[in-house]
Amino acid sequence: MKRKKNIWEGLIIGIFIFLVIVPILTILVWVGTERWAWPSLIPQKFSMRAVNGILRNRQQLVRLCMSSLFISASVAFLSVVIGTMTARALECYDFFGKRLFSFMSMLPFLVPGTVFAMGVQITFIKCGLSGTVQGVIIVHLICSLPYAVTLMQDGTRAMGVKLEEQARVLGAGALQAFFKVTLPNLFPVMLSAFSMAFVVSFSQYFLTLMIGGGNVKTFAIVMVPYLGSGERNFASIYSVIFLVIMLLVFGILEWIVGCFTKAQEVEYY
Amino acid sequence: MKKKMTPYILLVPQLILGVVFIIGLGTGIIQSLGVIPAFGLTEPTLKYYKEVLTRPDLLQSLKYSLYIAFMSAFLATVTGTFLCAVLVSAGKVRGIIMRIVQIPIIVPHVVVALFIVNILSQNGILARILANAGLITDQQQFPMLIYDRYGLGVILAYLWKEIPFIIYFVIALMANINGSLGEAATNLGANKLQAFMKVTLPLCMNTVLSGFLIIFVFALGAYELPFILGATTPKALPVLAYLEYTKPDLRARPYAMAINGILIVISLIAAVLYYILLRRSTKKLAG
Amino acid sequence: MKKRIAALLLSTVMAFSLTACGNSAKTEKADNKETKQTTETVEDMSFDEMVDAAKGTTVTFYGWGGDDSLNDWLDNYYAPRLKEKYDITLERVPMDIDAILSQLSGEISADKKDGDIDMIWINGENFKTCKENNMLYGPFAEELPNFQSYIDTDDEETNADFCFPIEGYEAPYGKAQLVMIADTAVTPDLPTNTDEFMEFCKANKGKVTYPELPDFTGSAFVRNVIYDICGYEQFMDMEADKETVKAAIEPALEYLRELNPYLWNEGKTFPKDSTALTNMYSDGEVVMDISYGAYSTATNIENGTYTETSQSFQFDKGTIGNTNYIAIAANSGNVAGAQVAINEMLDPEVQADRFAEIRTIPVVDYNKLNDTQKEAFDKVEIGKGVIPQDELLSKRLPEMPSALVPIIEEIWAEEVVGK
Repeated sequence: MKRKKNIWEGLIIGIFIFLVIVPILTILVWVGTERWAWPSLIPQKFSMRAVNGILRNRQQLVRLCMSSLFISASVAFLSVVIGTMTARALECYDFFGKRLFSFMSMLPFLVPGTVFAMGVQITFIKCGLSGTVQGVIIVHLICSLPYAVTLMQDGTRAMGVKLEEQARVLGAGALQAFFKVTLPNLFPVMLSAFSMAFVVSFSQYFLTLMIGGGNVKTFAIVMVPYLGSGERNFASIYSVIFLVIMLLVFGILEWIVGCFTKAQEVEYY
Repeated sequence: MKKKMTPYILLVPQLILGVVFIIGLGTGIIQSLGVIPAFGLTEPTLKYYKEVLTRPDLLQSLKYSLYIAFMSAFLATVTGTFLCAVLVSAGKVRGIIMRIVQIPIIVPHVVVALFIVNILSQNGILARILANAGLITDQQQFPMLIYDRYGLGVILAYLWKEIPFIIYFVIALMANINGSLGEAATNLGANKLQAFMKVTLPLCMNTVLSGFLIIFVFALGAYELPFILGATTPKALPVLAYLEYTKPDLRARPYAMAINGILIVISLIAAVLYYILLRRSTKKLAG
Repeated sequence: MKKRIAALLLSTVMAFSLTACGNSAKTEKADNKETKQTTETVEDMSFDEMVDAAKGTTVTFYGWGGDDSLNDWLDNYYAPRLKEKYDITLERVPMDIDAILSQLSGEISADKKDGDIDMIWINGENFKTCKENNMLYGPFAEELPNFQSYIDTDDEETNADFCFPIEGYEAPYGKAQLVMIADTAVTPDLPTNTDEFMEFCKANKGKVTYPELPDFTGSAFVRNVIYDICGYEQFMDMEADKETVKAAIEPALEYLRELNPYLWNEGKTFPKDSTALTNMYSDGEVVMDISYGAYSTATNIENGTYTETSQSFQFDKGTIGNTNYIAIAANSGNVAGAQVAINEMLDPEVQADRFAEIRTIPVVDYNKLNDTQKEAFDKVEIGKGVIPQDELLSKRLPEMPSALVPIIEEIWAEEVVGK
């Protein structure tokens, strides 16, 4: 009985993985393809045009990647810190205005990005924040934070305050209890929140342009015009680079989680 | 006293960002009321909302958008939760499989559109395989899976991207619950399925519902996929807003903002519904 | 209490990290400011004074960024040339025109001096909107030395953009003309007017289409059909009134409706833009492509995107041509640098290189060039599949007033799609 179920599980996971991977393979093929006409299953004309285009601009691209990584990592870090604080306030305390705060933390999910971008641009120009890195970080943060808060809230709720209270009973100070007991337990969720915030920030195009005003350049600003340009080989190669960067970041994060969870088995509830 | 202040202190940075957001949103909404001094528009008016709401294509677009958003969110949530359960049950919550699950989350929407076209169009790989197998002789015999009135291509594209999102969103929590409580339930005599349905799933429900809401609202407001993969008519609401927005005449911008205003109202209604559901499910759990 | 300390700590960390990156950005900004000058003085400057003022500055160039060969040419020919000759750093910002207008109008609403945007790639209705809303700097174009030496001032397109007077608020950048492309190995007979085009569609049922309006190319194609059926002269001074326009284009609408059953997907759905159509042509899903880049056929054959036997063609009565331009933002922080850069774009050597590298129809007047300059243009091999330049330009039809364009697009959506 058990064995049979495992076959089904394997099959379902297998189909799912197949459906995820095959489309990715088509963009890999398109990186080196110029023409792929009906009804052939193999492209008729290969070329290195897109690859060469990237290689020509490699210096600029490396520079862009570095600045993007810096911005997105800052955003993700701040999202996790603020997300943890907000989640803690909303999950562990009862206070006046709680529901309002909870709603406010979710609000950015509900509004199309362009509406917010065009509105906030004028405000930022007036505050002197437009065209600056910190301005871009703040707007990215606004978009990433709801994801971080949602994930951290779930994590905090799942863990509850019991462990920390136990530590307090055993004589630990509040701060000690938080840093020694709660924080390590929240760590895996924090890393999920970090990755999510990182992705959201790294993909921002319109907001970065509106607030950065061309002064703050990120990888997305160069990539997105190609994605819509119809030159499929260029669109594909930029997507592939984008994917590789993201997977590297995720891989490093997962490695960190691995190190931590090995040292300390985490249990919710 | 100290304890009373703690949550507020914790919320300070959230509050600051929230205020910035609301200022931005407010300025956007003022634009939908036709106040853009730079283009010589200064009088607030509801004219744009009225005109937008009386457009002959509006109702159809609204229905189409709601349909796409609901179908995408619903199917993604159900399938995602199911796959998540399978992954948890098979013990594959980390490592290479999760790495693969993460891929669609990071692929930009425009690229998803690209390979949906690559694979499902009348000229795509599926059609070519059928043609090479001799099952069809002409592209036009292949069914129109994208650019169709039923938004099939758009929904499939969202599913490809959002099912993994749900898995990613839920799996850490589900794995932990299943690991501790689920085991306890199994020890108490429940079978795996019962343990999942009675213990794990209800405890994950809030997160699953958040996931549904996020996808629904996103699919309702985003223009990229319906713009690229949708039919010429009907057009999704955000596509109408986008087209108004890209009109060179800047005085058309308030129309775009008014359509977005309508989208925000619908999103808010969805959010309120979500909160009601959330409170009910929390009560149920508590009771 | 200790929790409060923790919270405080966290927020200080945040504040610190914000100010830390803030500082570096600020110093960068300050550096920029030193090198930019205010607009007041520039108006009285001679060109040589502008060259001096522009030395060591950065000029931003905002425009569509999806064409790799153009980006490459700007980054690797034009930018280094500006750097070497004038010590100007060109910063290309890839951005769609609607986003550029958003940013510019935002900056102007917020009364931002020393704005981020210097040069803008623009034309048509967008230009009209910007000029009417005082979002552009000018007049400047006619003062530029290369404009005076090499631009044909009698040319309609030098003076008006979609029939809207330019008055020195933008300088020509490149010329475009609508062409249709088909593979002569697949369809040997190419239509030369709308009647033959109808037969062409019938013969290739389901394999011809055009981009959905308001796509720039799709819209131009429909206008071209209207010109072919209704003539173009009547539109040049037509009132921008929906009923008037509809009455005038009724025969063309009738024709387009009649065309629908023979089109791709029976005219119920159209490709969303010209790039989608180009991909469909390249994949063999349709047999005809439409392009505004009159010589893009040649580069596409060289890349292998098109088959070797692809050939561009136009109707006997001609196809629509227009010029695209460079304007300067009203609040630009570097007006002098922008003018020096635009002047350099009009240099025959630059135009010849652009013609050779990416086959853009030049904007300089051939008759005003000296022999060496002429030679630079003459020796350019345009490549395969194109219409010879003299024939192409002899069948060049003017754009109609830009106010009519959105009206036609609206009528098309109501009267043609799915009918």
